[in-house]
Amino acid sequence: MTSRSSSAVAEPAPAAADRRAPGPAARPRRRRGRVPGTVWVFLLLAGGVEAIWIFWPALSTFYFSLTSWDGLDAPRFIGLENFTSMARDDVFHTALRNNAVWLAGFAVGSVILGLAMAVALDRPRRGVGVYRALIYLPMVFSLLVTGLFWRVMYQPEGPVNAILAAIGLESWQRQWLADPDIVLLAVLVAAVWRQVGYVMVLYLAGLKATDPALADAARVDGCSAWQRFWHVTMPQLRGVNTVVAAITVIDALRTFDVVWSMTGGGPYNSSELLSTYMFRQAFTNQALGYSSAIAVVIFVLTLGFIVFFLRRSFAEQK
Amino acid sequence: MQGLGAAGLAAAGLGTAGCVTGGSGSESSGSSTLTLQSSLVDPNSSGAMQKLVDLYNERGGEASLNTVAADTFNAQLPTYLDSDNPPDVMVYFAGAITQRYGDRDKLLDVSQLWADELSEYPDSLRELSTDSKDRQIFVPTNYYWWGVFYRRSVFDQLGATVPTTWTDYLTLCEEIQAQGMAPLITGAGRDPWPLVAWFDYLNLRINGAEFHRALLRGEHRFDGPEVKAVFTEFAKVLPYFHPSSRSYAYQEAITPFAQGDAAMYLMGALITDVLPDDVDDLDFFQFPILDPGVPVAEEAPTNGYLAPARVRDPDATRDLLGFLASDEAQVIYCRDSQSSSVPTSPTADTSWTSELVQKGLDLLGVADDLTQFFNRDSSEELQQTAYTACSRFLAEPGNVDAILAEWQAAAEPIWQDQSA
Repeated sequence: MTSRSSSAVAEPAPAAADRRAPGPAARPRRRRGRVPGTVWVFLLLAGGVEAIWIFWPALSTFYFSLTSWDGLDAPRFIGLENFTSMARDDVFHTALRNNAVWLAGFAVGSVILGLAMAVALDRPRRGVGVYRALIYLPMVFSLLVTGLFWRVMYQPEGPVNAILAAIGLESWQRQWLADPDIVLLAVLVAAVWRQVGYVMVLYLAGLKATDPALADAARVDGCSAWQRFWHVTMPQLRGVNTVVAAITVIDALRTFDVVWSMTGGGPYNSSELLSTYMFRQAFTNQALGYSSAIAVVIFVLTLGFIVFFLRRSFAEQK
Repeated sequence: MQGLGAAGLAAAGLGTAGCVTGGSGSESSGSSTLTLQSSLVDPNSSGAMQKLVDLYNERGGEASLNTVAADTFNAQLPTYLDSDNPPDVMVYFAGAITQRYGDRDKLLDVSQLWADELSEYPDSLRELSTDSKDRQIFVPTNYYWWGVFYRRSVFDQLGATVPTTWTDYLTLCEEIQAQGMAPLITGAGRDPWPLVAWFDYLNLRINGAEFHRALLRGEHRFDGPEVKAVFTEFAKVLPYFHPSSRSYAYQEAITPFAQGDAAMYLMGALITDVLPDDVDDLDFFQFPILDPGVPVAEEAPTNGYLAPARVRDPDATRDLLGFLASDEAQVIYCRDSQSSSVPTSPTADTSWTSELVQKGLDLLGVADDLTQFFNRDSSEELQQTAYTACSRFLAEPGNVDAILAEWQAAAEPIWQDQSA
């Protein structure tokens, strides 16, 4: 994640100029021919490890999704039965719906807030570094720690309710993690709280790479602050947008730990995501066939989203 | 770059089954040392286990202790039972789950041990450790009791006396509430098993242990009149629960109980683990009797050891099991783990136990029948349905009919799978 983000930050910097630079197309190809054998050995080694520890288990999951298996005896092939029972499974439907809410809330919340923070803290002024650091700080904690921290915040006698009481909003007090109508949003707040700093840093890097002369020119031409942001700055952030969107969507779809540590999917499945439901089926209920089928659904959804997203954003860039 | 992310994510999503298949095998080495796999991670219990292993080794045995987190332990257990090179002895609990493993020939037959060392054990424990093929497949070494726990100082301050009947109990709740304290508390938040204990006990008191076990096996219906009667009584205590019970996990609910904000907590003796400073102030009474015509049953979750059927050296494994089941080993574990559990051996010395533990032993001693707990008497999967039903009932007691119908609908496929 971190290595991906650091290269992501660097990406928008070499702007159009680089791409237009006349480079002999043939040279890199000739260079590739000269890759020494040892490099291939290293690549094969890494590829082999990847194949054994990532691709093989992933592929076997597709097979297990067609079986009934409790981990004890050999898996029994049952065709598509797992998927048909999934269609009748109310908890699965709840989880699917929650995943959609989660994806929308997490993506919109963290991107808008992250971008707003980045714009607000872009200009150098006194103490700005402290603010940036504070907003980025939650990113340093693992999601599990974030979950436990917010579990304490949301306790019936915890800080959230105490603050509401202090500002005269007693009627807003809730049992945040016990109320099936709001529990998902309560957990979402915790997840967004952690993600905002990350998105902010990505956008700060993007803003550094924008051309201040363009904004100055727009100001001279009488554009309002909003017009300068929307019509001048935003178009220059396109590359960062793609990265942020991809990372946010991936992070949203793979969410597990924060929900698991805060609610375990409860109360009565109201904050269940596909990932927590899959985990419960696999490791509490030992229904490994069924949980593999859920994993396949998660995979298909994720792949669909990513392909759709990347194709769209690359098409936009062209 | 993004492509890599996608693949990584796909792998993360798809990895569940893979890590289970990949995990088997490597735990015990090729040497003759026996591996004792334990999920008892708290320092007192794991220290007690280590002491047992050291003692076994001093006496010429060769064993090593491998302690893993409970979640990992439970997730890996089926794989280990089917592995070619499993841990030799594993800490586990008695009940339906263990018996089902036995029925499927996954556990080492320890009938000989029962014929020799454990021959004096009561029939109830023998039955509990026997699979449907009439083999003993489990070695029970300790158990604990459940009761309505309270603090003496709080009861004194309230002027409360211990109730024995359900009517007295409800009156007591009302009196305590009138004095501005929450009469009851439970942990009905994340993993609401303390709430499920309420279902267990009310069902035991109203319909009896036989019915309870048969219900959990799928021979009765959750939406039938017997279970409806349980929830009718359950509804009577709902107004007395500390309102935050819905948010609390089991340990979090201890805090208001310890601080005197709530008077009573239906809990197992394990409550003494989390209230170590106040143990002297802690007391309990038997869950009140609702129908004197129903034989009195108590929950007595029993722990012990099992061995996979495919251990390398069955004789050495039985030797270690025999040592662990000895009176000496049982007492060392129960005393050193400070878990308020008591030895299962009828001949083990219990003079060292506290007054509280002795009282718990007496409670179990006079019971007509003992049950394990919802999950141990059925399955983890069925307990998930109990979590849903009971916590929804706590929030929406008016919807009891719909809740019970849903419970039945959720339980049926689980029973079908288990009988398949």
